[in-house]
Amino acid sequence: MKKKIGSTLVVGSGISGIRSALDMAEQGYQVTLIDKEPHLGGVLTQLDYQFPTDHCGMCKMLPLVERDSSSQYCLRKGLFHENIDIMLSTELVAMEGEPGKFQVTLRQKSSIVDQERCIGCGECARVCPVEAPDPFNGGLTDRKAIYLPVPHNIPNAYVVDLDACTHCGECEKICPTHAIDFGKEERKKFRILVVDDELIVRDSLKEWLLDEGFDVDMAESGTEALEKMSKEHFHLKLLDIKMPGMDGVEVLKRAKEIRPDLPVVMMTAYATVETAVEAMKIGAHDYLMKPFDPDNLIPLIVNLYHDIQSAGVKEMEVGSVILAGGFDSYDPSTGKDTYGYGLFPNVVTSLQFERMVSGTGPNQGKILRPSDGKEVKKIAWFQCVGSRDQQADADFCSSACCMFAIKEALLAKEKSEGQIDTTIFYMDMRTFGKDFQRYRDRAEKESGVHFERSRVHSVETTGKDDGTLRVAYADTTGTKHEEDFDLVVLAAGQRPPTGAEEVAETCGVVLNPWGFCQVEGFSLSRTSSEGVLVGGSFSGLRDISESVIQASSASLEASRLIHSKGGGLAEEVSPETGFRDVSREMPQVLAVLCKCGGTLSESADFDEISSWLEAQGSVTGVHAIDSLCTHEGWDELKETLQGNSANRILIASCMPYVYARKLRELGRSAELNPELMEVVDIRTLAFPGRDTEKEAVHQEVRAVLSMGIGKLKGMDPLPVATSRIVQKALVVGGGIAGMTAGLAIADHGFEVTLVEKAAELGGNARTLHRTIEGHSPQELLEESISKVEKHPLIRTHTGAKIIYSQGHVGNFSTSIEKEDGQGETLDHGVTVLATGGIEAKTESYSYGESEAILTQHDLEEKLAEGGVEPANLKTVAMIQCVDSREEPRNYCSRICCQSALKNALFFKKQNPETDIYIFYRDMMSYGFMETYYSEARKAGVIFVPYDVGQKPEVSVEDGRPRLSALDPILGREWLLEPDLLVLSTGVVPDAGREVAEQFGVEVNQDGFYQEAESKWRPVDFIKEGVFMCGLAHSPRSIAESVAMAEAAAQRALRILNSDRLASGSVVAEVRHSLCALCERCVAFCPYEARHHDEDEEMIVVNELMCQGCGSCAAVCPNSASVLRGYRDQQVFEVIDAALENVV
Amino acid sequence: MGEYEPTIIAFVCNWCTYTAADLAGTSRLTYPPNVRMIRMMCTGMVDPKYVIKALLEGADAILISGCHPGDCHYINGNYKARRRVKLLKEILPRFGFDERRLKLTWIGASEGVDFAKTIKEMVTEIKELGPNDVREQMVL
Repeated sequence: MKKKIGSTLVVGSGISGIRSALDMAEQGYQVTLIDKEPHLGGVLTQLDYQFPTDHCGMCKMLPLVERDSSSQYCLRKGLFHENIDIMLSTELVAMEGEPGKFQVTLRQKSSIVDQERCIGCGECARVCPVEAPDPFNGGLTDRKAIYLPVPHNIPNAYVVDLDACTHCGECEKICPTHAIDFGKEERKKFRILVVDDELIVRDSLKEWLLDEGFDVDMAESGTEALEKMSKEHFHLKLLDIKMPGMDGVEVLKRAKEIRPDLPVVMMTAYATVETAVEAMKIGAHDYLMKPFDPDNLIPLIVNLYHDIQSAGVKEMEVGSVILAGGFDSYDPSTGKDTYGYGLFPNVVTSLQFERMVSGTGPNQGKILRPSDGKEVKKIAWFQCVGSRDQQADADFCSSACCMFAIKEALLAKEKSEGQIDTTIFYMDMRTFGKDFQRYRDRAEKESGVHFERSRVHSVETTGKDDGTLRVAYADTTGTKHEEDFDLVVLAAGQRPPTGAEEVAETCGVVLNPWGFCQVEGFSLSRTSSEGVLVGGSFSGLRDISESVIQASSASLEASRLIHSKGGGLAEEVSPETGFRDVSREMPQVLAVLCKCGGTLSESADFDEISSWLEAQGSVTGVHAIDSLCTHEGWDELKETLQGNSANRILIASCMPYVYARKLRELGRSAELNPELMEVVDIRTLAFPGRDTEKEAVHQEVRAVLSMGIGKLKGMDPLPVATSRIVQKALVVGGGIAGMTAGLAIADHGFEVTLVEKAAELGGNARTLHRTIEGHSPQELLEESISKVEKHPLIRTHTGAKIIYSQGHVGNFSTSIEKEDGQGETLDHGVTVLATGGIEAKTESYSYGESEAILTQHDLEEKLAEGGVEPANLKTVAMIQCVDSREEPRNYCSRICCQSALKNALFFKKQNPETDIYIFYRDMMSYGFMETYYSEARKAGVIFVPYDVGQKPEVSVEDGRPRLSALDPILGREWLLEPDLLVLSTGVVPDAGREVAEQFGVEVNQDGFYQEAESKWRPVDFIKEGVFMCGLAHSPRSIAESVAMAEAAAQRALRILNSDRLASGSVVAEVRHSLCALCERCVAFCPYEARHHDEDEEMIVVNELMCQGCGSCAAVCPNSASVLRGYRDQQVFEVIDAALENVV
Repeated sequence: MGEYEPTIIAFVCNWCTYTAADLAGTSRLTYPPNVRMIRMMCTGMVDPKYVIKALLEGADAILISGCHPGDCHYINGNYKARRRVKLLKEILPRFGFDERRLKLTWIGASEGVDFAKTIKEMVTEIKELGPNDVREQMVL
């Protein structure tokens, strides 16, 4: 296999970090994925449910081709990929060098617990005396100071919260595998120099520190300290600030000259705190406050010790850095209006609510009031807490909370079988994403979620002291109401992640006024520092699918940079590993039993199990290992396998998940296909404390072992098939999205054919003249066209159309008709569809009856031509959501509100006297667009909400439009005779349906392309090898289209990257002699991986497209279709084994 | 010999229910030891003959459990399982099996609690139903 040399660092392992890491890894780069938390997955570890399915689906992000290089199980549980190194509790502390060749320094915090030795038994947590609020459950439950960061993650090793830990050492004593080490032995070598002029301070510090096992020396003055420092080696210096003669700050300065790397901690009395802070600026590590209390001081120093001594520092060279630090949630208790958060236990944040409905949450998923554990009957959601709030310094919209709230309301309905009454109090319901509006409508109409557009005035108790909350609010007419609720959920907004400033400084990137990462121009992933890209919410506020798109856009840019610097061009050939051919041998199973460090002997008798195993027919050897998860244990296994003739390995231990990666390594060293190795979990069965008798445990263990043997016996792995790839791309559509995708692919050295039906490239961007942010689409257009035209690897056909396409991933063949009427057939490995969208036509609101009635697009054109003179306009009216957000076009077009704001602000700027009215349903100024909404209101634009049942009415008299509309706030009718009436009609797909048919892909009910999965695979079609981007997917801005085009290119590159691609080992095959050609399997295959080859008269499986679901095997009436690794005979053996001891 | 302990064969999907069962195990949620789990890639690949085979070999009940509707890793395998189970439930009585011996559930990866609960409930139900004695009645 050929591998690209080139590596990247991904900072943050939330959803976008994982996406970027997988993207790069699938392309062949080496990836280091780090996270400052001790677990993978970011905020998604806390969210069990995501709309629109209201469940999960994260596993769909895993690789589809070459999928054996990655884990094949729940992605929330964990991730492994051959090309990804994961480092947890790790931060990026320094970065030097230049794009394409950065030297980065990573610092990994000590977790105290040896992650390899820890078996997750939880004994340590049982004896730990410290209780601390559990951030995993949003503080709704407590955990111990030694804890599992996430209950479902693997490896599920414990970590120590050093801030809470009292260093009592109980856990260290009880740990059965000696995985916990507070480093007491090592401390003897840790030399601390205490510098203080007061003898009593020196003496007591010395005594306490010696008690803790440290080596201590003392100095009574700065001069003495410096002298000692120049002669001896110390690891830490505790330095008093106020000393006669040379003061602490001066000593610090000089000490930095002698030993710049020695950590110095200042000691200060309250009066000199400011000096201490100053000292930190010139290099002090930290400061401690006097007077000292040993109970507080010692843990602090011990923490410092761990911080300084145990942290692992790693330096490496990477080509690019992707920042995916995510976001922090706003803490409502810090706001001016807290809505009782922190005061009333029944006021929670949306994240806390998410934990309340989770099975791993405080009440196993039952929705109970935190105050008294009573069942919740009525819940209120308050939107925009800490968002769209200038008092909270948040003149932005957090973008995701509206959908979050609707989802939570639906979850409450589902969990209570409709019994919980739900109300969402909101300003604008921002359902601007694809299919969001219909989701909202279903929530309202089918599930009975109540939506109340209102301002919440206050939350109080009812005075009865029963935990019930009284919510006072004013509706749209200004009428005041009071209503009682059991629970109030605050949709807490997003904030930049902790440490954002440090990361920005380290990487030299600029942050925006709110502290999020600033992106450049029309890119959503480029930062101000070349080679440093940003993915996900770190640049502000996005939902999962947008995060995924942007993460892929970031990896595309990272890859393009590495490639342009030559890093991606060099290829090294890794030696192909050969496995022993055991296909003609009888199964000989070596059973390996892990004793789990002896912990299981209480409840199970290993000798008895061993002798039972030895008696099994196909078992040729049994080997017990004390602790397989340690290095020593694993080496012992490797040694055992050397020269062993066994051709099947059964490992009986714990957590089969953990072994996925290890088995591949083992396979290489033992030259045995890892498919011939099986891991079964006996530890969960034999774990002490389970209320089961020894004989019952044995019976279970025997059944599990027997099932494993049954499965292994029937294993008959074939060499994994590879398929040839035509390393060329076809891009359909020459707008911004199509050109961006084409350029991104061609920049990686692959040929691209770009087909555009119009006579010129450019699409919609030709008619756009400025964006709301003030960027010029024309400049982008000119630049893109010129790059496309000059690119040696891009061939462009304008005025051309698609005639016919056939084939599958890696091998498509498409016929086009060129401008001159000539036909041409193109061979390509991937297809990107970027067929765009157009402004919807309308007949509503008397459009076409007056020249003064325009669409937003008409207005844009007229403004560009100078056909409108703003100075002459007295009144302008705009109507939003024309024919949109109601059936049959029940979706939000996302860009119309920004167009309206952009044009309204333009008019106001040109002529502040113009009266501008915008009639709207919900202003969709999501993200940082909110500032323009605020600006427009400040500029005097009048916003009038209307209800879909009571739209404004327009008539035309003498060529002039007359508009009447009810203002719900004022309770009276507006009668306007605007000089201009501008209609926001939204976007419809251009040629989606027709092109989709030609390429055999799906469109949704609105004619937009149907993605494989709205959240996890937003640019893929279900048909592998075909990708989408731009307006043809859904309405979006130019920058969003660019990001999506880059994401589509990224997905395409993972296929184009090598000339051959391997399928997985679990794929379907056909036993042709049994096949009756009934084609049921062809119809059943969800991936279109099968077809009937009529020439050869057989059913053929495309192994690259087959994902190994086994549907075909189950539907085949003749058992002619078979899934490797799950042959009928194997499953029957397993069933027999499972039932061996029954009856 | 104490109380009658039924044996349940559970065909669980690799992505959701298998993970849930694992979570139940690692979270130390207790559920009866009556279940033998067989990991399949997807519920959509559970062939009816596996179910019938297991019942004939003496299993007292069969659980098929996978991802929630709409969540299938393989797009729609769980819907295929749903159709198949509906048919199987009609066919089973002809073999002499009570259709209650076959159960289909959706248990997501994070729902370890639901997995434990499902097994507990199923054991109680099957205990009420009594042992599967079809095997003894049949002359094979």
